[in-house]
Amino acid sequence: MRSTTKQVICLDLPSSMQHVYLLDTIILEILKEMEFDEETSEQVNLAVIEAGTNAIKHGNQEDLNKHAHFEFIVQPDKITVVIQDEGKGFKREEVADPLDPANLLKSSGRGIFLMEACMDSVTYEKSGTIVKMVKHRPLAEQK
Amino acid sequence: MTVDIRKKEGIIILDIEGRIIGSDSLALKQIIDEQVDAAEEGDAKILLNLADVRMVDSSGLGIIVASYTAVQKKDGRVALLHPGGNIRSLIVMAKLVTIFDRYEDEDEAIASFYKSNN
Repeated sequence: MRSTTKQVICLDLPSSMQHVYLLDTIILEILKEMEFDEETSEQVNLAVIEAGTNAIKHGNQEDLNKHAHFEFIVQPDKITVVIQDEGKGFKREEVADPLDPANLLKSSGRGIFLMEACMDSVTYEKSGTIVKMVKHRPLAEQK
Repeated sequence: MTVDIRKKEGIIILDIEGRIIGSDSLALKQIIDEQVDAAEEGDAKILLNLADVRMVDSSGLGIIVASYTAVQKKDGRVALLHPGGNIRSLIVMAKLVTIFDRYEDEDEAIASFYKSNN
């Protein structure tokens, strides 16, 4: 059932890649409750998995003493996801373009590209240790 | 994620089921590497059956790309069968359309391995 009010759901995960499955399950349930269409749900689902993987693997270096913090802000017309890690951060402009022909066959380096492609906006704060992603409900679905 | 391995007409078919996310990609990499390593030169013909895969993340996509380069080193080939879920759109978004041959029919996919070797 769609909520008509703003709801904030928080999650703190120790930095193990095994917990990506837990994150996957939770975002799927949130999206189900929001009644997003299948395509939009898949996009948000993927972006959250990518951001979570980045926070756990690259940000916190899979250090179990460090946590990845997730905040899902659910509103009738959009979902905002804020991810914070305890790492050193990164510079977005230094991330290689995975669509560059020289990088097409690389086995990694597509996470941020996919996050930005799937969400309406992705912004980075505090040297990239905080990532804020927004996805609006498609206009045709808004009531 | 689960992977069943079978061989049909000389083609190694990996029937993958579930979601390829998180650490699944490492497990899939190990399975593909074992198959590629065991294959004779020119016999690394691998068909990834993705009919029952609903979600792949960038790590999973990266492993599929890595399989392409691994089999090429052994003069082999990898193709995708029934790429559904988000995989089809990922391949387009990542500009990998020209890299992977995709099929909706298993027999056609198998036959393609012999056509492309001619």
